[in-house]
Amino acid sequence: MTDAALSRPAPLPRPGEALLDKLLSGRGIWPAVPAIVVLVVVAVIPFVMLLSLGFSDIEMSRGAIVSQTFSLAHLTGALADPLYWTTFQRSLSLALSTMLICIVFGYPVAYLYLIGGRWTRRLILILTIAPLLTSGIVRTYAWLVILGGRGVVNMTLMQMGLIDRPLRIVNTHWAVLIGMAQIHLPVMILPLIAVMSRQDRRLEEASANLGASRMGTLRHVILPLSAPGIATGAALVFTLSYTTFVVPQLLGGGNYLNAATMIYEQVVYSLEWSKGSVTALILMVTCLMVLVVIALISNHFTRWTKGRDA
Amino acid sequence: MMQARMAAPAEATPAPVLRIGAVHKRFGALTVLDDCSLNVAEGEIVTLLGPSGCGKTTLLRCIAGFWAPDGGSIQIDGRDMGAVPVNRRPVGVVFQSYALFPHLTVAANIGYGLRMRGTPRAEIARRVARALETVSLSGLDARYPAQLSGGQQQRVAIARVLVLEPRVLLLDEPFNALDAKLRGTMQMELRQLIKRLGMTAIFVTHDQEEALTVSDRVAIMNAGRIEQVAPPEEIFDRPATAYVADFIGNSNFWVARAEGGRVALPDGQAVATDLAGPVRVMVRPHNLRLRAGEAGPWRGEVLHHRSIGPLVEYLVRSHTGELRVLAMRLEHARPLREGSAVTLSVLEPDLCSVFPAP
Amino acid sequence: MRLPGRTAITDALGTGALILMAVLALVILTAPSIIVLMISFDTRAFVSFPPQGFTLRWYAQVFEQSVLVEAMLNSLRVGLTVTLLCILLGVPTAIVCVRGRFRGTTALSIFVLVPHMVPGIVLGVAVLFAGALVGIGPSIWLQSVSITVFVLAVMVRTVMSRLQRLDPALEEAAANLGATPLQSLRTITFPLLMPAILAGAVFTFIEGFDNISVAIFTHGFRDRPLPVELLAMVQTTNTPLVAAVSGVQILLAVIALILVAASVGLDGVND
Repeated sequence: MTDAALSRPAPLPRPGEALLDKLLSGRGIWPAVPAIVVLVVVAVIPFVMLLSLGFSDIEMSRGAIVSQTFSLAHLTGALADPLYWTTFQRSLSLALSTMLICIVFGYPVAYLYLIGGRWTRRLILILTIAPLLTSGIVRTYAWLVILGGRGVVNMTLMQMGLIDRPLRIVNTHWAVLIGMAQIHLPVMILPLIAVMSRQDRRLEEASANLGASRMGTLRHVILPLSAPGIATGAALVFTLSYTTFVVPQLLGGGNYLNAATMIYEQVVYSLEWSKGSVTALILMVTCLMVLVVIALISNHFTRWTKGRDA
Repeated sequence: MMQARMAAPAEATPAPVLRIGAVHKRFGALTVLDDCSLNVAEGEIVTLLGPSGCGKTTLLRCIAGFWAPDGGSIQIDGRDMGAVPVNRRPVGVVFQSYALFPHLTVAANIGYGLRMRGTPRAEIARRVARALETVSLSGLDARYPAQLSGGQQQRVAIARVLVLEPRVLLLDEPFNALDAKLRGTMQMELRQLIKRLGMTAIFVTHDQEEALTVSDRVAIMNAGRIEQVAPPEEIFDRPATAYVADFIGNSNFWVARAEGGRVALPDGQAVATDLAGPVRVMVRPHNLRLRAGEAGPWRGEVLHHRSIGPLVEYLVRSHTGELRVLAMRLEHARPLREGSAVTLSVLEPDLCSVFPAP
Repeated sequence: MRLPGRTAITDALGTGALILMAVLALVILTAPSIIVLMISFDTRAFVSFPPQGFTLRWYAQVFEQSVLVEAMLNSLRVGLTVTLLCILLGVPTAIVCVRGRFRGTTALSIFVLVPHMVPGIVLGVAVLFAGALVGIGPSIWLQSVSITVFVLAVMVRTVMSRLQRLDPALEEAAANLGATPLQSLRTITFPLLMPAILAGAVFTFIEGFDNISVAIFTHGFRDRPLPVELLAMVQTTNTPLVAAVSGVQILLAVIALILVAASVGLDGVND
């Protein structure tokens, strides 16, 4: 059974391969370096430049920046501008309302997933994931169709004889809100499902065994345990609603300005890049502030997840 | 290796296949292996036995090459393994989880190593078939690991390394994943297979029974050190340290004084020892004898007894503390009742152990 | 103790209300797409509900209008480029994050995740500006690369999740059996990661195809991707043509969904 050739270990790799092996085997960072380089060049550096632009006066010529001097004028100008305040207020209230609507409508869907059978769960997943795979425009257009002058809502109401002339729903705050809520609903549902489906089912059984009704179990066991999921979903929905550009643009009409459309306007149309940069920065900072608040509230409700050394 | 004929050779001892010399390993501030040395002869089966955290798995992984020791050396066939990477060491590892490649068939799993070496396909097929026969799994070559039972998976894992004819087999708690009932049979079968093939093997386990069943020698490890390496009976009868005595089997300890090269036993006998002053004496439960009545100097009272198959285990209180005594049930017509007065004696004083007092 | 009768009623009412809301939410989630699909088959030349008749002529027109076809091709190119880049950059990064043995693995995984958390428009604007500063104008390349950076986290996360559930002993066994690191990657790691790579590829392709938040700032004048083209169309066209384009995208989404379900399964999406 002994075969000398077999007892010999594998042949040495060729020099080129040896280098590759060394890079791959050291369990070091080398394989990830290309990604890091790309990220730094395409994300980090541009972001720093964005910061710098917000604090400078620039001159542009033929689409390229020719000169740049430090200036706080844009920042101070923006903070003093009442238009900025109303715009951001509108963005904020829109995003917060969307977030709340999504929580209210998203949680029952996640609960249905929890108590439903295999086909219910599959259906919910399909209906929730599929919209995410279509473009935001497609989904927004659908609402244009539904809420428009000759859209579903108006046609049905007129046919039923409830109104004579079409209602003006599009180009209002409400249209934007409805559109946003429906479009971002999946983003609320999926993290909720992820968290809730990982919950130990025996906790519900224990609760029932201790005498709680279904609603009681929901209120005292399931809801608190799903708090991390609610927080994640809420944070995502808020961020997306706060920064979505398509929905306000299409459903809000030309005069509806929120932070995202304002940035678009400034960067692409009026070419006021420094102003656009400032708006973008304010957008990010305020978004971060709200996320911190959400995190703090969520932390309070998830105190029980902290380990012994917290 | 050629042995020069000397004047009076004791035995022509061949060089050990595996030589572990003063191996040291640290993880941060924690010393996981502390000056471990062990020689394993060709065809020997040695088990590293100890509780979790004693360093046995670490030592195994150092031999395999997954981790590099911080000090000391590991030699196979006299060749230092320090510079040899994992994939070129002549060792075969059987993992606790078996680590069978789920996307490859049994045949592809077993042939994997040969494929990596560029062995021609016909040759691979031949060797795989032979390996399957060796572990009695012929006919299962086209199955996938997920379709096999635990015992079958283990045999595939073994065949996979056997087919490469390694110098040393390393097995990391290979019976952990099996049902208790299956374990006993598999242990014996595996030992017989390894012996039949003349392979050298190192097992790692925390299971005493497994160690005692499978091994030629057992190495008891504690906190990174090898406390004793000896055949199973010797470990049991002559434990080198109090730790080993306590780890293997049950033991009775009490404190005494050593004077003039011996320690007096409560029943009047004595044990020889090199130690002096306060010592700890250890006697195995099966080395004590109980008789009803008060016929000797070492008196006791039965606290409790329980039957274990053909044996009876008594818990006896005496002036040396509480003692466990193991007796054959047939020795007494009826088990001695609780509360009865008894006399204790040591059956074989030579099999008592004497350790330094802590 | 509460009377058993009362809790039974509140339970039934509560559960019923929740189920009702859930169904309502799901209907609202799905109805718009279905309505658009119905309209895309309308024989009339204006958008109205309910649709009348059935015709495929709007879909035919989609593929006849050169502007639309070009836009679709652009989006296809961007999608494929983004996917390819994400695989080349993301898979090694995921492997490093999970199997790497150096201190910065967690920091690395967070670093990769950050661009995805930043609002797309901010990233788009930043890339546009940076490009202008060094003289690189918007183009299909700028678009592809910026979307790649935006969506790399999805690929990395998907692959990481799968890799974490893979027994590390598998790679050790391969090494012990004589495989070099390269061979081990090729014969063991990659085949076992395939489902996750496939799922990640589907997501990154879709994002590359559908993305508008980053694309709107970084696309070149001649390389308008489909979403941008669609945005312009919606504001000018009143025929079911737009609905037909939407229909094409919905079809794309369904195909993607089937692919994902076949690779990691629908539940795998959530990890």
